[in-house]
Amino acid sequence: MHPRRSLSTLQSTMVLSVVVILAACGPGGATGPTAGAATQLPTQAAATEIPPDQVTGSLHVLDWTGYDAEWAWQDFKNTYKNVTVTFDFGDSDADQYGKMKGGSQADIFHPYTGWLQFYVDEGLVAEIDTTKLKNWDKVPDSFKAIGQINGKQYFVPWDWGFTSILYRTDKITTPVDSWGILFDAKYKGHLSMWDDGPAAVTVSSYVHSYDETNITADQLASIKAEWTAQAPLNKAYWVAETDLDQLMASGEVWAAYAWQGAYATLNGGGTPVAYANPKEGRNSWVGVYGIRKDSSNYDLALRFLDSKLGTLTGQNLVTNYFYGVANGDVMSGIADPAQAAAYTNTTTGATPELLKQTFSVDDPSILQKTNFTPNLTAQQRDDWTAMWTEVKASQ
Amino acid sequence: MTASVDQASRTKGAAPERRGGSDPRRGSFWFLLGPPAIVLGLFLIVPVLLMIAVSFRADLSGELLAPFTPTLKQFQQAFAGAGYWRVLGISALTAFGVAAIATVTAYPIAYFLAFRAGKRAALYLILLLVPFWTSYLLRVMAWKLMLGEQGVVNSVLIGTGLIDDPLDALLYNRSAVVVTLIYVWIPFAALPILAGLGRIDVRLHDAAADLYGSPLQQFLRVTLPLSLPGVVAAFFMVFIPTVGEYVTPLLVGGTGGTMYGNLIQDFFTRAANWPLGSALSIIMLTVTLGLVIVALRIVDPRRLLERG
Repeated sequence: MHPRRSLSTLQSTMVLSVVVILAACGPGGATGPTAGAATQLPTQAAATEIPPDQVTGSLHVLDWTGYDAEWAWQDFKNTYKNVTVTFDFGDSDADQYGKMKGGSQADIFHPYTGWLQFYVDEGLVAEIDTTKLKNWDKVPDSFKAIGQINGKQYFVPWDWGFTSILYRTDKITTPVDSWGILFDAKYKGHLSMWDDGPAAVTVSSYVHSYDETNITADQLASIKAEWTAQAPLNKAYWVAETDLDQLMASGEVWAAYAWQGAYATLNGGGTPVAYANPKEGRNSWVGVYGIRKDSSNYDLALRFLDSKLGTLTGQNLVTNYFYGVANGDVMSGIADPAQAAAYTNTTTGATPELLKQTFSVDDPSILQKTNFTPNLTAQQRDDWTAMWTEVKASQ
Repeated sequence: MTASVDQASRTKGAAPERRGGSDPRRGSFWFLLGPPAIVLGLFLIVPVLLMIAVSFRADLSGELLAPFTPTLKQFQQAFAGAGYWRVLGISALTAFGVAAIATVTAYPIAYFLAFRAGKRAALYLILLLVPFWTSYLLRVMAWKLMLGEQGVVNSVLIGTGLIDDPLDALLYNRSAVVVTLIYVWIPFAALPILAGLGRIDVRLHDAAADLYGSPLQQFLRVTLPLSLPGVVAAFFMVFIPTVGEYVTPLLVGGTGGTMYGNLIQDFFTRAANWPLGSALSIIMLTVTLGLVIVALRIVDPRRLLERG
């Protein structure tokens, strides 16, 4: 018996293993900045002389999971073949804002309505030189206005869509007509709310006809009580849209607060779902792209954003996620029979007919009733998110 | 008795000092300690100091590294929220339960590796560590597959005819969090216990046998007491990080499984309110440290060692 010897081998193996473990447990792949890599991007005057496929360099994009797929930046990919684009991700507006505020070196970032003012106030975003965007005149004025803060164009609008109630038509057979279903105890254990304070305030405002831009302290207190009572009705809160997709596809959740991307994914996957038209109106949000204030890749970033507004990229967005795009020509193309093929996607189940229905092309009253997300103030952001954390802490 | 041990170690420690600065061991001491000290300083001490500084900010506006007027606003808000204290209590209790069960479960594994595995000990140790070759996230996700309504456990129960409808109480609650955490920590807890058992001189077993100690007596009066420092280390190695755990409750905890770490994470990634998140972090750090100090007062590992 040589326990001593075998143990010393064992101990050294152990030490080695611990080192391996520690290395493996470290935070996964913090994406390093890639700024300053625009080797060839010349001065503005010369930019027009270089053919796009000879432009080299790299862009770093902070985006939402899913938008790193090539279809979401197809025009840029096809045109600027020698530019490397790297992505990293923020899984909420607060997360993206925190990353930019914390010194992320991303050249381009992707916030949503509600969170735009902060970037301007904190000096994190550069003004957009719209004269360099070839696709800019295809963007309707109402969308351009969403990217304007303090009278200046800081953001390029890109994706937009609805938030509403998504439900399983095999489990809930009567059409859902109100946001109030999220509070219906009949569906206890089969509901799912998005894990987000401002979203909770928005839903309560619709249900009780509060002025969302001017919630009083009393109203906030009753909103908190309402969601505290609602919490046990959820199967789980969802954080990323893929969580929701799973919960609904498996039949664990029957009705949920949802973006229409989840509707598209589930519908394409064959799950029987419908997207409600609540009597209080749907919510609508717009996603915009901004360029970091001190980005050394400003010109290349502008080209990226211009390509984002390109036709192919826009059609991809519409047929893959059923989201709208800020390029008005792409949206009006849905009703054009000659372009039917461009609006058909067998994987997601998109057809011109389904898209017409999704964007309520034939029923303008849905859009008229839709509530657009207003910008938050810093005070509202802090109060509403703290309210939500207290709701979660009470469970 | 404690005093005599202290004295002994003091005399032992004093010997090299007399030789002055020319001791080559001192050079290697700094050579060995330097790199980890620099890494810890840069990536632990500095961030903790930054966190403390941020917790005294009124909000996140303005330059993050510029001077600001400190305020106690965040701590007032953190102390006022009754829910925060409740969740901290629940998290500490959860961590206690998880650490206790994981340690007890890990003990036989470590015992087997130390005394029964023989030449294959290294192989078994590697097998024990195989789960770490996959991502933590994947291992937790696997539990969603195990416990879900259409998961493995439900399928087996339905398949064997024990139940007709799937149990929906397996996933998305606090017990799912506890089960998953215990699973995750068992291999970790086994390591310090194994190290503790490895230090035991096997001749003590022979001596105990010579004195007609039964195997149970040998274990209870020789092996167990001598391995207690490793057991205590294993317990705290699980307890301390579990108080602040947030990934597991996020994935399998559902609406009712929130832990203190989730509240902190929320203030960073879902609220962009770093000052309040930092204040909560400091409260957690202080409370955890306090609990550990109290616990170490009760079970002093040095005394345990001595008694053995």
